[in-house]
Amino acid sequence: MPTVNDFLFITEAIMKFKLILIISTICLSYTSKAQVVSGMVADQKHEPLIGATVLELGTQNGAVTDINGRFQLTLVDKSSKLVVSFTGFKSDTLAADLSKLMHIKLQESLEELGEVTVTASATFMDQLESKHVEIITEAELNKAACCNLSESFETNASVDVSFTDAVSGAKTIRMLGLDGRYVQINRENLPHIRGLIGRYGLGYVPGTWIQSIDVGKGSGTVVNGYESMTGQLNVELKKPETSETLYLNGYVNSFGRMEVNANHARNLSDKWSTAFLFHGDYFASEVDNNNDGFMDLPKSRQFNLMNRYKRTGEKVMMQMGLQVMRDEKAGGQLGFGFGDDFQTSSEYGFLNQTTRVEVFGKTGLLFPHKPYKGWGFIYSGSYTDIDAGFGRNEYTGTEKTGYLNAIYQNIIGNSFHQYKAGASFLIDDFEESYADSAFTRQEVVPGLYYEYSYLPSDKFSLIAAGRVDFHNLYGNFYSPRLHTRYQFSDKTSIRMAAGRGYRVANPIVERSNILVSSRQLIVQEAPEPEVSWNLGGSLVTNFTLGDEDLNLVFDYFYTHFENQLIYDMDQSSNNLFIYNLNGDSYAHSFQVEGKYALSQFVEIKAAYKFYDVRTTIAGRLQEVPFVSRDRFFLNASYATKYDKWKADLTIHWYGSKRLPNTNDKPMELQREAESPDYFHINTQVSRGYRWGSIYLGSENLLGFTQDDPIIDPDNPFGENFDASIVWGPIVGRMVYAGIRYKIKRANN
Amino acid sequence: MKTLRIILIAVLAIGYSQTFGQSEPIKVAQGYKIDIKTSAVCSMCKEAIEYDLAFEKGEKSATLDVPSKVVTVVYNPKKTDADKIRKRITKVGYHADNFERDSVAYEKLPFCCKDGTHEDEHDPH
Repeated sequence: MPTVNDFLFITEAIMKFKLILIISTICLSYTSKAQVVSGMVADQKHEPLIGATVLELGTQNGAVTDINGRFQLTLVDKSSKLVVSFTGFKSDTLAADLSKLMHIKLQESLEELGEVTVTASATFMDQLESKHVEIITEAELNKAACCNLSESFETNASVDVSFTDAVSGAKTIRMLGLDGRYVQINRENLPHIRGLIGRYGLGYVPGTWIQSIDVGKGSGTVVNGYESMTGQLNVELKKPETSETLYLNGYVNSFGRMEVNANHARNLSDKWSTAFLFHGDYFASEVDNNNDGFMDLPKSRQFNLMNRYKRTGEKVMMQMGLQVMRDEKAGGQLGFGFGDDFQTSSEYGFLNQTTRVEVFGKTGLLFPHKPYKGWGFIYSGSYTDIDAGFGRNEYTGTEKTGYLNAIYQNIIGNSFHQYKAGASFLIDDFEESYADSAFTRQEVVPGLYYEYSYLPSDKFSLIAAGRVDFHNLYGNFYSPRLHTRYQFSDKTSIRMAAGRGYRVANPIVERSNILVSSRQLIVQEAPEPEVSWNLGGSLVTNFTLGDEDLNLVFDYFYTHFENQLIYDMDQSSNNLFIYNLNGDSYAHSFQVEGKYALSQFVEIKAAYKFYDVRTTIAGRLQEVPFVSRDRFFLNASYATKYDKWKADLTIHWYGSKRLPNTNDKPMELQREAESPDYFHINTQVSRGYRWGSIYLGSENLLGFTQDDPIIDPDNPFGENFDASIVWGPIVGRMVYAGIRYKIKRANN
Repeated sequence: MKTLRIILIAVLAIGYSQTFGQSEPIKVAQGYKIDIKTSAVCSMCKEAIEYDLAFEKGEKSATLDVPSKVVTVVYNPKKTDADKIRKRITKVGYHADNFERDSVAYEKLPFCCKDGTHEDEHDPH
């Protein structure tokens, strides 16, 4: 069943077609009017083909199938023939039949999309999508048995994951060589990881709740706001109407971390369905493999519960949900625990207690006979409270957010010209205090946007969009965006994107990793919004090599900052200066990725990335610290039919990174100017059963760790202490095992 | 020669009538191979049966041909036998040679996999 959201974001929906359960929509029928032919296009497996083109033969009159594979076309001549085509399938020409709902089945063109390519690929790129978007499916997510969203990109080349500091255990992502704060992270198209949870929020999305993740590189759509600067991630969670009746997962690792996940979904009536998603984790062991007296990983415990509802219907679709989350971390010197007071404790303590409550929902008004038209309202409200401590310094923060986005979608004349127009409203209320300073900020941001899509054929598409937001504190934000795609042949297509994005920084929380040091925080001027332009493109091509296609993706993106908030760790190792950019700041990112199925069971994916990321720090244009210029990635996966046996091996190679200047420290505490390169290898084996699966894996198989990640760990309250200069893994080899138990949903 | 041929035909005929339309397992490189006639009607049925058999003990491979409704299963005779495989197919909701489908499982099948839902479809090929 299509969600409201899927309906409203047809472009996003197009790429999800493989994931959507369609059983109940297959046999729908409705009566057609004179001159109007309607029907459904499906593949041989009865799965609807979304975005298939239906053309009246010899005319320019045509339609594109919707989320259910359905189309409706007013014919110029009712005795016309229809030409139905879809990438990877043989086109078909047949007589239009106005008397009934036509069921058109296309045959896969085996030369282009062999069965192996389809079954073995857990990540794929949609050929028809105008934007450069990769989709990480649940199958791909299972490869890394990931605990949460921050670990979901292990087997994806476009998103880099790294530790932020030697104490908090938090992982951060990077895209296009830039920090993850420039990526707009949405949950089901609602802006999600931002504001106060910008730093740790990835850890608040449990892996077992995730159905799929769309990774969009470069400028994103204007529909979701102005915050997409280097990319857009959209996380789709398990749906009330399609997810398993019961899904239980237990996980334990060699450090002593335990996790329990439980999902339950059921129909309440023929229209309403509900899902409960639960996650709990607990880790209270003290791991100090490098013997510096500091825990390599903080103790942690989390309770996370979501209850969501969905109403499906011909005319009105609704969904709403509630999430309650409490996460606690306690790290620092050995002996420091959850309830301890960091201000009086003899140990150096790190504490983070985050409580978050969120309500969210969507309402869609549909027009059953005009599948291209609709109204959508998406909204959320959240309350976040953080109590944190870094050594003797206390941080508290609360954020209250309200968000509403109203979207109207329609066509202009025919479905070659589509548009979305809408208005959004954001209210964001911050109250923060750190050490002896307090900050409050209330953002009120109404915005308007328009997105026009020109889809004349499945070879070419163009999306031109713009939005304007009226920020109460920072004036007007103008965000134009342009996306275009051209398909040279069945095997080669090119995409280009350009756009501008904005964000308002939260200087203390978003670089709170630097606070685990003796550095004095010095905010030199009032932070201005960060503004960047992003320009780039990608080329996707397939070569036949032996029996299989070698899939190659080349992409290049350039990000140029008009303004950026600079976190200067270089001027002095005793301070962290924060100021607005005064000079140049840019990032060039180049990536080439190849994917090849060696056999029916084995697929190899490899990528090389080059980053040139420079910014003006202390009056001088220099490389941004902690970014590898070169990176290499290799993933080999083996899977038998239906994933009865699955094995994965992922090798990351990180080139050297520039490190912040420590020349003003005493000689013995100084660090190299550059980090060494290193390998990071993960592996996992799983065995599937009818009831689920068991898995066994290892992270950081080689056990490589950064030597002495903390500067002067013996004097944590002294002036030289610094746990923020982290470029590599802190913890050594970790082994984990888990079990998944599923009760499938009855089909009707 | 002639009598020999008659005997041979007779033996084959008797053998055929005894199996009552069911084919017998034959030896192949990886074990035994059996063709089982099912009541599968579409590729979703194919998926369901092949998926289920993939996790059956002793199963090496299973491929269902939708037009003929015949699933070809290769299995290890030490771990399973043809009747066990047939019974397993009935539990998915389909007839398997002489074995009647499990009616509870059949009720749970998707609409498209049930009897009489494929007559009005337009199939251009």
